[in-house]
Amino acid sequence: MGGMGALDMSGSLFSTTLSYLKDVFSSVRSILESCVTAIPYLFSAGENRKEVTEQYPDPISSRTADDLPSRSRGLLFNDIDRCTGCRECEKICPNKSIAIETQSGSDPAKIWVSLFDIDFSKCIFCGLCVEECIPGSLVHTKQYEGAVYVLDDLKASFGRGGVTPEMQARWAANRRTHENEEVGF
Amino acid sequence: MSGQGPAWAILLQKVFGLQGNYPNGLLAFVALFFIYLFLIVPGAWIISYVDRKLGADFQARVGPNRAGPSGFFQPLADFLKLMQKDSQEKITTSDLLWIIVFSSALYSSVAVIPLGSSFLMVDTDLSAFIPFLSALVLALGTMLLGFSRPTVPGWFGAIKVAGQAFSGAFPALISLLTAGIRSGGFRWSHLANSQGASPMDWAAFSNPFQFLALIVFMISGLVMMCLPPMEGVVLPINMNGGVTAHLYGRRWAIFRLGRFYASFLWSLVASVLFLGGWQLPEQVNDLLSDSLILKQSLESILLLSKTFIMMLIVIWVSRVNPRTRVDQVTDFAWKVLSPFALLALVGSAIWAGWGLLI
Ligand code: SF4
Ligand code: SF4
Repeated sequence: MGGMGALDMSGSLFSTTLSYLKDVFSSVRSILESCVTAIPYLFSAGENRKEVTEQYPDPISSRTADDLPSRSRGLLFNDIDRCTGCRECEKICPNKSIAIETQSGSDPAKIWVSLFDIDFSKCIFCGLCVEECIPGSLVHTKQYEGAVYVLDDLKASFGRGGVTPEMQARWAANRRTHENEEVGF
Repeated sequence: MSGQGPAWAILLQKVFGLQGNYPNGLLAFVALFFIYLFLIVPGAWIISYVDRKLGADFQARVGPNRAGPSGFFQPLADFLKLMQKDSQEKITTSDLLWIIVFSSALYSSVAVIPLGSSFLMVDTDLSAFIPFLSALVLALGTMLLGFSRPTVPGWFGAIKVAGQAFSGAFPALISLLTAGIRSGGFRWSHLANSQGASPMDWAAFSNPFQFLALIVFMISGLVMMCLPPMEGVVLPINMNGGVTAHLYGRRWAIFRLGRFYASFLWSLVASVLFLGGWQLPEQVNDLLSDSLILKQSLESILLLSKTFIMMLIVIWVSRVNPRTRVDQVTDFAWKVLSPFALLALVGSAIWAGWGLLI
């Protein structure tokens, strides 16, 4: 046996058979190893071997939306009073789920967010828009049930609506009084 | 005085307390109905539950937990759901063809399955080959399912299924012959009686070649019928429109039940061929010699537990190992299973010859 190392046996019947048997043996061993590795999971033994699936919050699991982790990403909500209309969220969204339209507001320097639509049929709840929102107006709620019967119902609208001529007239009047007051002082 | 005809007919008449002579055909029908209703359907339920729960545990998931205690009624819920759904498509001739072939593979062999020393409805010289043939027919049904799709992936899938079934059939047949060499025949009763109750008297542990044959037999059955973990070829994810992509609702239920039955049948046959079948210890047999029903029930329970354990082992292996592609499976079947099957056959033949000579 010891002397065989000196001989070049590759390609011979013996060495081919041997490497074939080695292959078979190592595959059998690898299959058995994975079987053995899985055993602790059966008894949830050890640190990382706990089930990681979250229970769906509903009456059966007697969990509520409040039991969801604090950073869970539910349906989005935009507090339009704080939204500056910067469009950062619209730009970052990978699926273009956010549609924003703005007009100039009561003051030409201010932005009036007339349209802010989120299409949840496109949203993948990646949370990028929320991260991007500097005023923190756009947030994830803990609402997780979004099923609807009509596709259009998946669109959530947070916009303030278009600026009407009356509003413009009122704002212009406000501005004038304001300027006059400043001049008066 | 009840009790004429074959043993299973006598048994059935005793179980139901029937008097007089009933035609065997009627009794056979009743027996099949009961096997189907009280063995195969609950078996499918329990095994599919255990499969999903064990699989979930192995993979650190929760698994079914909604329908009933610990999700035990999940298979029933799934079944009821599937029954409510039917394909929008009309049943075409080719759909009909696969459904008929697939289900005839199932139901033709129910009568053949051995369940104990007296519950043997078909105990002929070639009994052990009938499940083998019905496994082939099942694979044929799966192939026709692929051909029933008017798509290229469907047809390719069908050809792959056929290739895989063929590559598994050869080692399966050889290892079946190996079992026959030891027992000297392929009659169920013959195969079982050649073994004993203690594991040392089981065929699988009587010599190393028989053990090899058991392993080859189990694996090649999985290959032949595309069962997990060799089921890559029939998985819905395998393709965009392959063999099972369009299956849902009732047709999917037929398909699933067929695959459960296939794995049940194969494990049952393996238990009879190699794992001592329904053999009870001598003492128990003596004790029960005058209670046919009790003896038969114990035998069935023993055999079914062996079958169940075989299925559990297969579930275990298939849930923790990656699935294999069809070309890997056929490659493995031709290059590994077949040579080992032949080795087992030759080895067993020599072993048997040695036993006779010395
Ligand atoms: S969560 Fe992601 S996908 Fe959804 S709107 Fe925000 S950026 Fe777009
Ligand atoms: S990033 Fe925030 S502030 Fe800017 S438009 Fe979006 S929601 Fe409004």
